[in-house]
Amino acid sequence: MTTETVIVVGAALFGIGVYGALSQQSFVMLMMGIELMINGALLVLVAMWSRAAGGSPDGQMLAVVFMTVMAVEMSLGFALITSAYRVKRADITEKLRKLKG
Amino acid sequence: MSVALDAALGVAAVGGMLAVGSLALAFADEAAAAAVAGAPLRPRRLLVAPFRRAASALLTATTTTERPDGGGRALAPALLAGLAALAMSMLPLAPGVVPADPSTGFVVFSAAVAFVMIAVFLHGWSPNSTLPLHGAYRFGAVALSFQIPFLLAMLATALPAQSLSLVRIVEAQAPLWNVIREPLGLPIYLIVGLAVGLWGPLNLPDADDLAGGTSAEDSGLARWLWEAARTSMLVAVAALGSAAFLGGYLGPLLPGPVWVALKTALLLAVMAVARHALARARIERFVEVAWVLLVPLALLNVFVSGAFLL
Amino acid sequence: MSDLPVSLAFAAFSAVAVVAGIRVFRTDSMVRAAFYLLASFAAVGAIMVLLGAEFLGMVLILMMAGEMLVMAIVMVMYMMNPAGLNPMVMVHQHRTAIAAGAVAFLALAGVGLAGGVPQRPVTNPGAATGDLGRELLGNSMLVFQTAGVTLLGTMVGAIAIAAPRGRFGDADADSQEPALQPDEEPEA
Repeated sequence: MTTETVIVVGAALFGIGVYGALSQQSFVMLMMGIELMINGALLVLVAMWSRAAGGSPDGQMLAVVFMTVMAVEMSLGFALITSAYRVKRADITEKLRKLKG
Repeated sequence: MSVALDAALGVAAVGGMLAVGSLALAFADEAAAAAVAGAPLRPRRLLVAPFRRAASALLTATTTTERPDGGGRALAPALLAGLAALAMSMLPLAPGVVPADPSTGFVVFSAAVAFVMIAVFLHGWSPNSTLPLHGAYRFGAVALSFQIPFLLAMLATALPAQSLSLVRIVEAQAPLWNVIREPLGLPIYLIVGLAVGLWGPLNLPDADDLAGGTSAEDSGLARWLWEAARTSMLVAVAALGSAAFLGGYLGPLLPGPVWVALKTALLLAVMAVARHALARARIERFVEVAWVLLVPLALLNVFVSGAFLL
Repeated sequence: MSDLPVSLAFAAFSAVAVVAGIRVFRTDSMVRAAFYLLASFAAVGAIMVLLGAEFLGMVLILMMAGEMLVMAIVMVMYMMNPAGLNPMVMVHQHRTAIAAGAVAFLALAGVGLAGGVPQRPVTNPGAATGDLGRELLGNSMLVFQTAGVTLLGTMVGAIAIAAPRGRFGDADADSQEPALQPDEEPEA
């Protein structure tokens, strides 16, 4: 377990997340893609804290901020899904035509 | 070699504690049922009952459903029992005697309780059948509501210890047990414990009005395994509750492990009586009580517990 | 702790994290997808524990269990075929997405492998939890409080967005299913 291997794993999770966020039609599946991206970033962040920052507590602090971002993303995402369903009866991105340029 | 031996001993001890606790709960449950019904207590029948149930389960055929998620069905009881074992493995038995003491024991236990909702949901979803799925969604509503009060009630016990380690949480109760220092904590914890163990008044996901809820499609060994896992979880909740609120191994005269057993038995007895003496709570009522009443009370509990430290 | 068991555990958890991550988008049922995502997250949490961030790893696992259940409930509420086990392919711009994912992976992995990462491992892994606690309520208290206020604002905002009634009446007044083809009449 070296820093490099953890970064490769994190990059793989991020890549899968990019694929999911771009390819999925369903809002929930799309959010899963975003979650995987944050997940990969968080993993690399913790690896950096553990292996490259000498265990300085600021690194963990940054990870806590990351988790806050994750929670914000989740709750606002679900709120928007609720709102989109109420107004447009939409459960997939294709049904939100007005946002299309 | 000695590491492997230690690990084997630890696993055996945790498994043994869960088995003994489950048996004790089964006896207490039978006794409470008889007492509440006003029936005479027949000790021989009472002692045989759990084994009779297990034997009958072994003799019953295991049924299956149409296109189930086989992996999920097999995983759910194993996951629940594993979570019970994980929680139990952090129970301090005597000063310096504990199977595992992670510096984040509180968080590990909370994560185990949070994963109970995954196990129950998996158990209800995987048979691909209506009634179990209803049970699973019921537990979703219950579990999301009890999470916050549970975390806050446990958090208050970590404050006087100034640590998240369960060993330190027990040690910090030497001058005063948490049940006295923060009297709101234990009742909230027990209410949540009933919900976590799918037990008694909060047995909504596995309730009779859903023909057994998440276990409606289980029979024979599968049903017995699920019930054993549920009981183990309840025992683990009682044991860790005794450590977090009743001072764990602390107590005069008797050795530490005896106190742990006595306090756990006390909490199990309370749960057994609650199952037979209290009416089942309606689900929307429980959700409302949890958010409107338990969350503020648990917050108050944290503030009171913090005020003691000033 | 010796190196070999840690390396083996890391390899196993990495495999679970990546394979479960791929399976999220290669399964027929959204509930299964949520379970795979949870497995991926749990494996990442375990790797974080291996890296010495015991608290962060366990909190991630704790958080994700609740999140998966919320996802399951949202699926039941709004999505078609929520718990179903029927085949489901709901993708758009598939090739572009695969290419973008691959490019992102290769670029980031390349950056990681290019080196230049300083080698300063954690000196005292056992103290990480206590360190974080002192940091949260010490030097970084302002950051911590800001995160808390952000979450409070998020709660208020999320409730405002999702509220069934707003100042202009019911949120779902006159709402209807939009047409799937551009020139079609909307479904009733």
